[in-house]
Amino acid sequence: MFIKIRRDTLIILILAFMLILSGRLMTYMAYASSTGTDQGVPISGVIIKGNDIEPTDIIKANIANQGFRSGSYIVGDTLVTSKAKVPLSEAISNAETAATYSPIPGTQLYPISAASITVDKQTGIVTVNVIEDFSTVVVK
Amino acid sequence: MMNAASATLNCIIITDPTGQDPNGAAAGSMSFDENMFQSTFIFSPADKFAILSGGVDTTSTTGGINDTPRLSAVISSINILKANGTAQAAASVANSYTGQRLVVGGPTIGAALTGTSGNYLIVVANDGTITVTPYSGGTAVLPPGAKGAVMHLLHTPGNPQNDNTSAVGQATAIMIGQEIRDGHSATDIMGDVFKKVSIESGEKYGGGAVNIGSGISTADMFTPSELNQTGYPMDQPYVKVDNISGWSVGYPTADSYTTSPIDNNPLQVVYAYDALRSAITVQQTNVTVFSYGSDSPGISATTSQVVSYSVSKHGFDANAIANDINSAISSGLLIGVYPVEPSNINIQTATKQVGVYYTPLTGGRTAPPWNIPISSSLLDTIGNLQTAIGLIIVVLVLFRSTLISSFSRRRKKL
Repeated sequence: MFIKIRRDTLIILILAFMLILSGRLMTYMAYASSTGTDQGVPISGVIIKGNDIEPTDIIKANIANQGFRSGSYIVGDTLVTSKAKVPLSEAISNAETAATYSPIPGTQLYPISAASITVDKQTGIVTVNVIEDFSTVVVK
Repeated sequence: MMNAASATLNCIIITDPTGQDPNGAAAGSMSFDENMFQSTFIFSPADKFAILSGGVDTTSTTGGINDTPRLSAVISSINILKANGTAQAAASVANSYTGQRLVVGGPTIGAALTGTSGNYLIVVANDGTITVTPYSGGTAVLPPGAKGAVMHLLHTPGNPQNDNTSAVGQATAIMIGQEIRDGHSATDIMGDVFKKVSIESGEKYGGGAVNIGSGISTADMFTPSELNQTGYPMDQPYVKVDNISGWSVGYPTADSYTTSPIDNNPLQVVYAYDALRSAITVQQTNVTVFSYGSDSPGISATTSQVVSYSVSKHGFDANAIANDINSAISSGLLIGVYPVEPSNINIQTATKQVGVYYTPLTGGRTAPPWNIPISSSLLDTIGNLQTAIGLIIVVLVLFRSTLISSFSRRRKKL
């Protein structure tokens, strides 16, 4: 052997190793069983309600452009996106405006007259309620 | 300046005026022209109607095609239908615009067509008598409760094929009548109409079609991707599929594949009209799955596979579907979501649609948290404490001899 080591030293070393290993294992278990988060709540899904003729994808894309897309997350009252940090209330009002600029594909008709957005800060689910109204659509 | 779209095939087929059959009403638009966006086959899943439009206002002063009258007509038509107006009233709107055409219909409201020429009304009586009436001008009406179809077909200027649309239109109208009489469903007939018209008349660019009763659309499958372009040619191959593993590849990439890279099975070519047919047809084995609550990549595709498998095995049973989804979650097939309960699964048996509502996991986790009787913060503290003690012991052991000797030297001094 290259290193001479006393037997009781070896036993203490093994003991220390086991202590560290089980300690790390316990912290992992603590992480795996915890439900809280440290990094904020990610935007997990966008649910669009109230549209009929207007395709859901178009509204979803417009909302995503205002930061409500996968990869963004909420810390306190701030929405952190891949591009910027904006106050959540500002992001919501921007997205509500953006939703009304959803055209029927291939036209410049905007049938969404109003939108209201609620963000669940626990689950990160964004619910967009839109009002589709063809009686006020302007044909240019 | 608005982009113009002048659909040359507009067709609404109603085979089940009671609205019971999920495939009982279909509508579709196609043209040789450019810009066949979804605005040419607008439909309302909630109120179950479709509005197809087309036509050219040749009185435009700018020289180009003016699309504004068409869109105004469509908007007025939508407003009439939203206010529970009849199909006839909604289609007649086109009369107040020059050169416009509106084709309106739904499973229970019947169908109506107003336009200048190349129009056909197909009515199939209960005793199997087929009546095909050509219309040029005025409004063709298929009354609510009747089986039949309304169709428009015209030649687009610039289409290199000879103008044979009146012959093709007539033959297609008769084919529709015969297939309705023989009990085919509307979505199936729509596939045949797209096939016949695209091959024989060359009015072939999508466009798209909708299943009005079940609220399924081909959406942007065949529409142009940019302004002033044509859509997908409906008489061409659309995708190559391996029927055994389900692997598929779209064109033009599909040109370089002859066998499936998974199991070397020969690939079957699916033409665009057949892709359209299967996209709008609700089948016993063909479940439409919607997943909500998580936009993570893979969730919706995997859910759709798990649910189709579950339905083919156990039928439309929320408990069985929830079980299968949960086993997919615990085996790591679906990640980033909490297990679902049967109440999170919404089943529409009539239209073969299943909605799955997920609760996403927070903090970028992939698996649901474990259920441990000890609180996680206590466990975290103990774990860290143990690690620290372990590290201290290692340090102490390494400097054991030095520590002992210095300790004993100090004792000696005392």
